[in-house]
Amino acid sequence: MSPSRFRVLVSWRLGAAGLRSGGVTPPPGMEEPLSLEMPREPAPRQEEAAAGGDESSETGSCSASFSGGSDDLEPEWLDSVQKNGELFYLELSEGEEETLLQDSSSEVPAVNHVRFCENEAEVIQEGSRKERKYEPRLKKITKILKKKSLLPKHSGKKGTGGSDGHPSGPTSILKHQSTQKVGVIVQQRYKDVCVYVNPKRLPNDGAGEKLKLLEALVGIVHQSSWSNKRAEKQGEQDRSNKGINEEKLVVHGLIPGSSAIKTGQILIGDALVAVNDVDVNAENIERVLSCIPGPMQVKLTFETSVFEHEGTSQQRYKQAQSAMNNLVKLLWREDNMDLQLAIQGMPHIVMYLTLKLDSETSKDEQEILYQYPVSEASQKLKSVRGIFLTLCDMLENVTGAHIISSSLFLCGKLVQVVYWKESDKLLVIGLPAESVPLSQLRNMITDVVRTLKFMYGSLDSAFCQVENVSRLDHFFNLFFQRAIQPARLNSNASPSAQHYDSCSALFLDNLPGVRWLTLAQEIKMEIDTALSDLEAADFAELSEDYYDIRRLYMILGSCLFYKGYLIGNHLPKEDLIDIALYSRHYCLLPLAAEQRIGQLVIWREVFPHHHLQPSEASGVTGYREPEARYFLLIVGLRHFMLCVLLETGGCTSKAIGNPGPDCIYVDQVKATILQLEGIDSSIEERLEAPAIPCLSCADWFLPASRDKLESFTTPPILSKLQNTSKTTASPISKRTLFTDSSLRTRKLSPSRSSGGSDNGSEGPEEGGGLNLLATVDQVRKHERKESQSFGGSEGSGSLFKVTKKKHTLPNPFHLGNLKKNLSEKDTELYNAVKLTSGPENTLFHYISLETMQGIFITPTHKEVQQLSGSIHPQLIKNFHRCCLSIRSIFQQAVMKEKVYGMCSDSLSFPPTPLLLRFNPDLKRLSLKKKKNADSGSNLDSRKASSDLNLVREHGVLFECSPDNWTDQKKPPPTMTYWVVGRLFLHPKPQEFYVCFHDSVTEVAVELAFKLSFGLAT
Amino acid sequence: MGEEGGSVTLLCLTASSGVPLFCRTTGAPSKHQLPFSVIGSLNGVHMFGANLDVLLTAACTANTHVVWRVFHNSITLIVLSAEEGASDFALGRLLDNTFSAMVLILGLEELVNIRNIERLKKDLRACYKLIDSFLAPLERSGDLTQCVECVPVPHGAALQEGLEAFVAAAESRFGCLVVGGRLALATEPWWQLAPQELLLLSWLVGSLPPPTARDYPIYLPHGSPTLVPRFWKPLLEPLQACVRPQPHGLPPGTTLPPGVLAFLLIHREQRSSQSSVQPPGSGGEGLSPRRRARALRHFYALVAARYFPWEGSPAPPQEPFQAGFPHRARHCYVVSATHKAYAIHAPQHQLFLLLAPHVPTFALRPLAARALQRLTGDAAC
Repeated sequence: MSPSRFRVLVSWRLGAAGLRSGGVTPPPGMEEPLSLEMPREPAPRQEEAAAGGDESSETGSCSASFSGGSDDLEPEWLDSVQKNGELFYLELSEGEEETLLQDSSSEVPAVNHVRFCENEAEVIQEGSRKERKYEPRLKKITKILKKKSLLPKHSGKKGTGGSDGHPSGPTSILKHQSTQKVGVIVQQRYKDVCVYVNPKRLPNDGAGEKLKLLEALVGIVHQSSWSNKRAEKQGEQDRSNKGINEEKLVVHGLIPGSSAIKTGQILIGDALVAVNDVDVNAENIERVLSCIPGPMQVKLTFETSVFEHEGTSQQRYKQAQSAMNNLVKLLWREDNMDLQLAIQGMPHIVMYLTLKLDSETSKDEQEILYQYPVSEASQKLKSVRGIFLTLCDMLENVTGAHIISSSLFLCGKLVQVVYWKESDKLLVIGLPAESVPLSQLRNMITDVVRTLKFMYGSLDSAFCQVENVSRLDHFFNLFFQRAIQPARLNSNASPSAQHYDSCSALFLDNLPGVRWLTLAQEIKMEIDTALSDLEAADFAELSEDYYDIRRLYMILGSCLFYKGYLIGNHLPKEDLIDIALYSRHYCLLPLAAEQRIGQLVIWREVFPHHHLQPSEASGVTGYREPEARYFLLIVGLRHFMLCVLLETGGCTSKAIGNPGPDCIYVDQVKATILQLEGIDSSIEERLEAPAIPCLSCADWFLPASRDKLESFTTPPILSKLQNTSKTTASPISKRTLFTDSSLRTRKLSPSRSSGGSDNGSEGPEEGGGLNLLATVDQVRKHERKESQSFGGSEGSGSLFKVTKKKHTLPNPFHLGNLKKNLSEKDTELYNAVKLTSGPENTLFHYISLETMQGIFITPTHKEVQQLSGSIHPQLIKNFHRCCLSIRSIFQQAVMKEKVYGMCSDSLSFPPTPLLLRFNPDLKRLSLKKKKNADSGSNLDSRKASSDLNLVREHGVLFECSPDNWTDQKKPPPTMTYWVVGRLFLHPKPQEFYVCFHDSVTEVAVELAFKLSFGLAT
Repeated sequence: MGEEGGSVTLLCLTASSGVPLFCRTTGAPSKHQLPFSVIGSLNGVHMFGANLDVLLTAACTANTHVVWRVFHNSITLIVLSAEEGASDFALGRLLDNTFSAMVLILGLEELVNIRNIERLKKDLRACYKLIDSFLAPLERSGDLTQCVECVPVPHGAALQEGLEAFVAAAESRFGCLVVGGRLALATEPWWQLAPQELLLLSWLVGSLPPPTARDYPIYLPHGSPTLVPRFWKPLLEPLQACVRPQPHGLPPGTTLPPGVLAFLLIHREQRSSQSSVQPPGSGGEGLSPRRRARALRHFYALVAARYFPWEGSPAPPQEPFQAGFPHRARHCYVVSATHKAYAIHAPQHQLFLLLAPHVPTFALRPLAARALQRLTGDAAC
């Protein structure tokens, strides 16, 4: 028997209330009696407290906060688990939620965020109410909520209320007349206002203040004394008589600073008639409000005497909408018309088409298995699907290769369409070229396919199942939003960070790697230890002898993110990439970066390609991946996000059906994060610290005005550095540690400075070029060797040699060494690390992609934000756009390399017919090679057809000048800088992209290498 | 274009009815004779889109690029290129040149109002030579750069005088001296022609069999697409005979820095170019001239399509990739397994260099700057 089964039985025996109607899903939240200690299972209440405030949430009693009895024992996410076991539960931290909800408070009333109702039977007896259960106070993403949100709206409820004998209102004569007017006005009679309430913020007064909840919680003052006292009295006397104590909750006043007044929609004179669709009156309001378990948003329904004009409410709605956080809305799957409208004009589409048509049933559009969006935007592209199908078929026949892309011109826009063909199905994605360049779109479809396969196993199982349609709609909604308007999904960030995100997203989001944050060794150690402890899974309930049964899951590995940066990884690269793609797609990384997550729990079965694909190597070693199923568990708390890959069915018990998230595992992962809480201050410190390596701002190289130009004799950068950046914190004495005795000066070779003759004689680059270079001797030698060997020949042999040398040479700039020697206090030492040679730091930006490890390093958001200016943001944008171009060239090289790699294999093994059928050129090539191999000049012929694409390095020199140059007499000063990309294939694939000032030209190699030293992995 | 890398097939059809007018192929010709059904569906798929207001412009598979273009709602050109390094940019230029060549020979009227298809087919045969030269440009680059290729000649002044006199005698204003397919000298009005016309004329002359005298009626696609300016140059022959230009296409006395395998210099304003794949000093090292030419063309297409401002005609239908850069690209280099390449965008010129792999990467820039200085210092163009 599986533990979860076991727990279910126990909980039944316990008679714990509230076995949810989860269908097949056993409620894993039920705790067995033995382990009811609080530390292991922090009650949700406690969680909130921890999320909201600073209290350490390790242990402590929470019994006092139990209001709903057994309900609180269940994790909040339990009700969000879908029938197939999947869970996507997102709850923001209190502060975030409040702002977000307030923003959306004037939203369309139909959206029913959260609903609760009293569990006391006396209040509501209607059948429809009974179905409603206590619902957690979180946003619902599941269909359950969708269904519930279709429950009787206010108008419908009013009817039932009437049947109960509730009069619609005391001032009935006037109002009744108004209801008989036009329909619009009738709708205006009741207004729904969403307010954020937090019972925990209540002043801890005595219990005598009972009746004040309405004031304290919501901020509405209702003076019951003003109304009929007799009714109240009678109500007390005769509780069962409902008709009598029907005092209206007229708003007599609003408390300043309260949620009610903040909405700006509640007016004095309105009458509160319902709270989350529960009828309220003076009698029951306090009881209803006392049932609010925690901070949440409630919907108040008012009967209003003031008729609002449609227009003003619309306007207000719009304003609030713009301020709303689009990303969270998207993730909560709330309809966000604003976002949708924004991309409506853009022709975009995704279609899954079948190439095999049943000729018998010639139904219209039967070849479309899936399509999104079903809107005008896609109509035209959908109508020409014949082109896609024909091209796919015909070009494959003619050229022997699958179609990759095509370009269409429609609605005045160039639209790129990329294809993914698998067996007899064709996945097509079309996007305007202005949003995504073609080379990038190709990467995007690859990523989409990989993510879908990770989530569903195969494209067919993703697209061909009816129940997946709404999930895929959501999936592709996110996809297009990210592709077309990346900036709009990060409304929370500061403008500069937003700019950085939006211009880097296109490039960074498609790198085969995760953004890595270098950390000090001891922090890394702490993280690794915590992750290892978790993975060992020998905590009490997970150890096998605890129940004397096999455990449910084995933890294959985990990776930890902080604010979207990967800070710890115990997963193989392929799995890491799979998970990163998934989290990237669902925008989890930026979410954790910008918003404090109250709680995030994601659970789903996944199909990691790496484990499921039988690899060739396995046959050799005798190792076979077990026939297992895999589950992904992601838990997020605050800025942390821990992803765990679980295996079941290998050495563990087999999973049956669609198991939902297991409480113990979720808790354990949560506990791991909590355990690591302490390090967030040191990570923050690292994020706040000045850039390592130092970065310069482009604007520092441009004199802001003419007088500054004249005082240009001294290098201005250093002084500016001291003024504007935080590098001043770095003590000079520390710097000498690196530059002690071996410091020497060296003049820049004249040829180099004369090289930029066409750059104009004035401007800062000249000043930079003539400066003396102070470098560390050893490094200089080292780099000279490197640049020589790189300049000399680009053969793979020399590349290899150099990298090998790198490891043997003790390099003072080796960050890895550096960190090991660091004591805690010496973290400022990082400041001394500068990548470029010369007194001025000429490095603007960099990206280092370690393809092998699946990570990349680039300056943090903070580091970029520190460098403000007018030119610099442009430079950042330019850099990333150029990287797109450079990388597309590299990708061709890698592709070619692979083809040749296969060819050289085919020399020793008989060529596989499949491969040859795929690519006739290849066939010709390998035949040619065979011939040549006989004649002995095989290498040459190989090069002959490959020379065009085997690009190893590519650089572009850009020139810029200030935007607002007003001086008519003088031409604007210019600044020139390089964007250089370098590709390494041997010994391990790596890519580097750097952006540096023009004054030093040969540093690219050196830069790249030093960057790679920074990896402490 | 086509050569070792794969075949290039150019199809010409009438836009309205889809009747094939001609099909030219280079590369592996025997294998790549497209069946009629394929030609039909290539055109059909484009027409289908056009009927729905969706213009199919390009498609590509792992090894082949296809580009469609319709000219004046009358002629559809489709090119399939299996060449390595084929790009939409290069193929677009090819189609553009092809249609211009057809106008040059037949006149626009003939092509827009097609009366007799069979007749047109026959007439178009006259263009084959010229079109084929675009398909296999060998060591030339004008088709891609849309610049007329020039070659410096010794005794330029004397020859110029002779040319002027001759042109005057021939009662024309337009006259030029073509050496090996490249323009050596021209009268002033000659330079007034559109760059593409200049280019087409010199390529036309180059594609003709080498007689001693030429008298060839032409239409100018830009200047006078419907009128034939006839001119005579029977006296060119003695002039030509006295010219012995250097094979490396450099002004006499000019040397290039060592390691330069090939160069292409474009005079931006004049839209003229100078190039050589065998400059003095490059010797036989490294790549063969043919492969140098290919590498240089490929590099040019890359840089022109992505980084340097768009020059030449026609303007692309959509704003090009480089429009997305907030800053202007000035230099660009590529380090590949077999060669290095460097490009400079200067106010007057664009220089594209192909360098030997042993040239250190950090030396590329000063070297290129020196080459530009030497080439422009006393260049004839």
